[in-house]
Amino acid sequence: MAGWEIPMGAAIAFAAGAIGTAWAQSRIGSAGAGTIAEKPETSGSIIVLEAIPETLVILGFVVASMIIIMIE
Amino acid sequence: MDLGYINARVRGMHSRLLGQKDFDVLMIQKDIPSLASELEKTPYKDEIQEASVLYPGLKGIETALRMNLVHTCQKILSLVEGSDAEPLVLIILARWDIHNIKTVLRGKHVHVAPEEIEGALIPAGTLGEPLLREMIKQPDVRGVVDLLATWEVPYARPLTQCFDEYASSRELSVLEYALDRFHYEYAHSLLEGNKEDHEVMRKLLQLEIDSLNLKNALRMNRDKVDTGVAEGYFLPGGEHIPLEKFSALVSAGRIDEIAENLEGTPFAFLAPLVPEAMRTGKFSVLEKELDKYLTKKGSGVFRSDPLGGAVVIGYLWKKQNEVVNIRIIARCKDARISDAELEEELRHV
Repeated sequence: MAGWEIPMGAAIAFAAGAIGTAWAQSRIGSAGAGTIAEKPETSGSIIVLEAIPETLVILGFVVASMIIIMIE
Repeated sequence: MDLGYINARVRGMHSRLLGQKDFDVLMIQKDIPSLASELEKTPYKDEIQEASVLYPGLKGIETALRMNLVHTCQKILSLVEGSDAEPLVLIILARWDIHNIKTVLRGKHVHVAPEEIEGALIPAGTLGEPLLREMIKQPDVRGVVDLLATWEVPYARPLTQCFDEYASSRELSVLEYALDRFHYEYAHSLLEGNKEDHEVMRKLLQLEIDSLNLKNALRMNRDKVDTGVAEGYFLPGGEHIPLEKFSALVSAGRIDEIAENLEGTPFAFLAPLVPEAMRTGKFSVLEKELDKYLTKKGSGVFRSDPLGGAVVIGYLWKKQNEVVNIRIIARCKDARISDAELEEELRHV
């Protein structure tokens, strides 16, 4: 069975994670840029904070993979 | 610009404000030179070094504080340009415009030397230094009002409207009242939205108007000003001191009547201080307590909505308070006032 439902489900899982990540990173990015402008010594922490929402898109990717691999 | 970026920068600037420990260190300094060298260890370093070359002693510190405040306000103004926080910052900075215009008008009214007027100006508002310098060069009050009209400054409108009354009465309070009234009406017109930040700012403005009305009412009561005349100086737009209460405060014959009128308002904390102030005729204690209360309220806004524009407003209040406190310390050190008295003089830290 390989209808359109499985790839569509996987796409939604991945896209939702990516959109969430993009939104979170845009907010953290602008605030982070402001913080680094005033306190350059915080650059390291800001880069880590900026990367944290990446977990969302990775999670989306894992779920999408599971949908494709496990549902037959 | 994005409020997240602005707030992050403002929070960064906030982290550099002096804390209680820093003030404790400044307060234990023996004299002005040691205070100046201690200030060189703070974010005031650049301004202190620049100003101490130009002016020695107290004047150097005051110049440095003014320069720092001006830099901060201009930086904030450039940050918020085009954002939702811009009208809020413009309202706060307009205070300096009002302060500067009143200072020049007062100077011209009593024919003070231009250098002396220049020393009292704080070009932290929207009126630039070239305009302020031109204002100082004017020969009289009429010249200042005409110049503001020529430069199409909005404050020229109320001054032009009331100039004839001033010319006939020679009462500067006529122009000052017109200026204050215009400022608060203009500020309210900028806050027509239903945003939470606007509501916070509106409350602060109302409190400021109430406090101004209260100060005026108590002074007029002391000077036994006729209620009809006093009502002409009532500033509308307050929340807790309406015209009836204002008139009652002006005409109150007994001290307990004043205290009764303060009951039920946020200014009830002043009631125990009123008898002493009325007896000695010294209202500075009341005015200081009122200023402390306003500063506390204004600074408290910093901890409101972390994603809103009010963070900037809270910071500007805190910054102004810090500069005022350092100036108080410098003046007390210059006048060799005891540490205990100095601590009493300080505003909310």
